[in-house]
Amino acid sequence: MPGMASGETHRHLTVSTADLDTADMVLNIGPQHPSTHGVLRLRLVVDGERVVSADPVVGYMHRGAEKLFEVRDYRQIIMLANRHDWLSAFSNELGVVLAVERLMGLEVPERAVWLRTLLAELNRVLNHLMFLGSYPLEIGAITPMFYAFREREALQAVFEEVSGGRMHYMFNRIGGLKEEVPAGWTRRVRQAIGEVRRRMPDLDNLIRHNDIFLARTVGVGVLPAEVAAAYGVSGPVARASGLDMDLRRDEPYLAYGELDVPVVTRTEGDCHARFSCMLDQIYVSLDLAEQCLDRLEKLRGPVNVRLPKVVRVPEGHTYAWTENPLGVNGYYLVSRGDKTPWRLKLRTASYANVQALATLLPGCLVPDLIAILGSMFFVVGDIDK
Amino acid sequence: MGDKRSVPGAGLAKGLAVTFRTLTRRSHTQQYPDVQPKLPPRSRGVIALLEENCTVCMLCARECPDWCIYIDSHKETVEVPGAARPRQRNVLDRFAIDFSLCMYCGICVEVCPFDALYWSPEFEYAEYDIRDLLHEKDRLREWVSTVPAPPAHDPNGEPAKEVVAAQRKANGGAARVQITRPARVRPPRSSQTAAPRSAGAGSQTASPGASAENSPDQDTPPASTTD
Repeated sequence: MPGMASGETHRHLTVSTADLDTADMVLNIGPQHPSTHGVLRLRLVVDGERVVSADPVVGYMHRGAEKLFEVRDYRQIIMLANRHDWLSAFSNELGVVLAVERLMGLEVPERAVWLRTLLAELNRVLNHLMFLGSYPLEIGAITPMFYAFREREALQAVFEEVSGGRMHYMFNRIGGLKEEVPAGWTRRVRQAIGEVRRRMPDLDNLIRHNDIFLARTVGVGVLPAEVAAAYGVSGPVARASGLDMDLRRDEPYLAYGELDVPVVTRTEGDCHARFSCMLDQIYVSLDLAEQCLDRLEKLRGPVNVRLPKVVRVPEGHTYAWTENPLGVNGYYLVSRGDKTPWRLKLRTASYANVQALATLLPGCLVPDLIAILGSMFFVVGDIDK
Repeated sequence: MGDKRSVPGAGLAKGLAVTFRTLTRRSHTQQYPDVQPKLPPRSRGVIALLEENCTVCMLCARECPDWCIYIDSHKETVEVPGAARPRQRNVLDRFAIDFSLCMYCGICVEVCPFDALYWSPEFEYAEYDIRDLLHEKDRLREWVSTVPAPPAHDPNGEPAKEVVAAQRKANGGAARVQITRPARVRPPRSSQTAAPRSAGAGSQTASPGASAENSPDQDTPPASTTD
């Protein structure tokens, strides 16, 4: 600044703008930071408390899933695929088998279709409950976690009863499901759904309108609809910005075509909108799951088709996308007629969602950064694949 | 909906009301080591090996996605009285599963054609050293006693194929029950040898257990990937 040369006598008192200027500092959040639940690294340039630029550095958990898909047969792929987003294992499996079934021209028995729809919706509830518990935890409210996990437990019990797994269900097979559900299972699912529905207001009342929570989230990290669309953001994060897109309604797969899927949207696009979008989606999913159960009572028949020992997919390519709990999840399957895919490209929801952080974070304060990061609802395994 | 700030602290009060209500209810916590969890029969806790049923066909080891099953065997010549020439038999020397690698997918249990592998809900086998998670056949055998009976299937669905097979045997094996809906498979493209046998899959012979009938407990396992 030109005024720098002012009086040598009062040098220590002189306040120039140059002295007030803060130097930019590069700050690494992660790769091991509790709020990134995983190993996402953010390279931030901060000016004091304000973020100047943010650069998500991904890949610390890259496991080469796509390459592994090429050397595993289709049943083994189901096992690999349910792991990239470990909170929506069922939906991940679903995308793979839908792609394979489409290429093979297989028709899945109706009972299996409705069971899959039911399980996919329950998986969505499980996923959302996890985030509804962990997001408040990240910004300082520990209690909702316990309520969310109580509900998760009820649903995980029915998942474990049917598939044997609590996280990696491994219940889809090409042409249907692994096996028929145990006797009395549908009744217990209904009970579990009833329980969760009855107790959901607890979680809702506890946090949604909590004043401290509102202060941390309302108006923070506003993601405009155009930016969301430009980055390919999908799922509850995009819908909170007013991007009215849901594959369950717009491009129905499974039995969604016969169901009326209400799409929960918000227009604010801030952290609170994202949170309440997710919360409301739970109610929608519970409704859908109950409709599936009603339908299942009337459906008889097998849940899978008999296939040869070695499943080979005819030459061709297809793209199957599903509305995963976190957003659009797609598998681009290219087959050359082998028992392994020639290429299985994976489009994951979290990868696209997390890209928006680069425009969302600049300008915000460091404490808000945690609130925004948590509200983008991603799973690091789903980013890094 | 975010504009509920008309009364300051209303949200907090609502939350506290939940807390107080929960305070009056019984706790959901299960005191684990004292109270054992009730696990369903399908729980994938650990893989048990019924050694007598194993014929060293190696299917499990081959199909395992991360090759965590180790099998060693040798051939033994058995003199069968009355038979023209002695027969060769596989003898299992080593069967080990490395549970530090196992991804608990259950493919080995699924592909085993002779019912030598089972899932058990047993889960208390943590170790201090990861290398100690490699369990040999003696240990795998111990878990067989913890294998529960499989649950009955939903009456709306199909009974388990074991049940169907047993019923058929009881009926003298004559009545072949057609219950599977045939898989509709698009005819393969051009020079595909790879396509599933479309005609066979749709016909009557494809009912569950049919292949087992044709080749009872022989070397060829029942052709099924969708059990």
